[in-house]
Amino acid sequence: MFGYVLANGQALSNEEKAVYKAHYCGLCRVLRERYGQKAVMALSYDMVFLEMVLSDLTGSDEESGTERCVPHPVKEHSYTVTGFTSYAADMQMLLGYYSLLDKVHDEGKGKEAEKKMRELLPSLEEKYPRQCGAVRKWLEVLGENEKKNLRDPDEMSLIFGRLLGEIFAYDDTSFFRDDLKALGCALGRFIYLLDAWCDRKKDKKKGSYNPLPDGITAEEMKEMLLDAAAAASDSFERLPLDQHVFILRNILYSGIWTKFKEEKE
Amino acid sequence: MDPYSVLGLRPGASDEEVKKAYKTLAKKYHPDVAGNSPEAARRMQEINAAYDQIINHKESYSSGNAGYSQGYGFGGYGSGYGTGYGYRNAGETGDPIELRAAVAYINARRYAEAITTLGAIPREKRSGRWYYLMAYAEAHTGDSVGALRDINTAISMEPGNATYLAFRDRLSGRRVQYEDWSRNFGGFSTGFFPCCFPFFPCCCII
Repeated sequence: MFGYVLANGQALSNEEKAVYKAHYCGLCRVLRERYGQKAVMALSYDMVFLEMVLSDLTGSDEESGTERCVPHPVKEHSYTVTGFTSYAADMQMLLGYYSLLDKVHDEGKGKEAEKKMRELLPSLEEKYPRQCGAVRKWLEVLGENEKKNLRDPDEMSLIFGRLLGEIFAYDDTSFFRDDLKALGCALGRFIYLLDAWCDRKKDKKKGSYNPLPDGITAEEMKEMLLDAAAAASDSFERLPLDQHVFILRNILYSGIWTKFKEEKE
Repeated sequence: MDPYSVLGLRPGASDEEVKKAYKTLAKKYHPDVAGNSPEAARRMQEINAAYDQIINHKESYSSGNAGYSQGYGFGGYGSGYGTGYGYRNAGETGDPIELRAAVAYINARRYAEAITTLGAIPREKRSGRWYYLMAYAEAHTGDSVGALRDINTAISMEPGNATYLAFRDRLSGRRVQYEDWSRNFGGFSTGFFPCCFPFFPCCCII
């Protein structure tokens, strides 16, 4: 997806970094196994966060091992796969497909890849009708608003939030469904806003749509992001997480600001 | 029954202890482990209700409205999944009839349905209470922007309402709490390690 939801490596111990990396490599491994080497290009830290939240929440069993892979052919590294790694991989492909489709529409690039990836949709639809339906529905609303040039960051980010909320709510019958939905929604708002902020100069140059009003300051942007992040943390803290909670808090309270800090006015 | 003892804890145990105890018990009574026994299902309900009561107890922002509720929530707690900790049913709270369905949804934690139900009430019939319920539901679906907008409307319609003011305080309190936590994690500022493969998604950035 976007890769904004990642840890602040400097504030993690070596041990925690190793755990975090292993979950990342686990997702990478499952993506390769299920969808082939190219699928790795869709990999993002956002889905590592989801996988770690869900596996912690449910106390899912972990399976760890060591491997070598294409980007790291020499050095052996460890990976961790949990009961939610394949869910995260599937959701990654679902979101990856639509982001590719967006690229085809906007830039006319990647038509072949889009056609190939489209073949994955029927099986994803069958397995996750609720999530797929929500992704289609909300992306359509976003698209319509873009056409109308609706420059309302609150409304637009909330639509994307609703989309991500459905993805976070892995099981509609879970006791924590609503907290997961709200967490996904608030994080989705954060991601959408930050993405708009990072793209604003490029969009202006190209005359492309951007939800943010012209001349928005970093201070105003930070206020909006802070509101979304605080809402995310409120839901997060209701969940009974204990296994990876330090890493997850590092992401939520520090890491997610990485790209905002990098992107200067 | 005291929710802490349901989880096998002493009263006033920390949130971290509550979460750990909940997870241990939830695993024990999960259908995958315990099978489909009605006894395990009943225990699971009790554990869920106790967890909910403790973790959400901090949200006692309904208490100012003494006629409506006891402690927190919207007066009704028996509706959803709870086995009942002595809370009254939503129907008895004295809400006007058109708001009762929304209150029942909120009590069952079905916030999206609550928003839909509230949205169906025509604009001219929307009271301060309507805006409060809407704000409450919005806050629980992750829409803090809508929640703040609607609670402000509720307050402007009924200026001295303690429940509404307390709810707005809680919404802004989340920000303060977030920033406190953030400082503990080295603040917002963070460095980025260079990646060995530029443009390639890679675990090396951490």
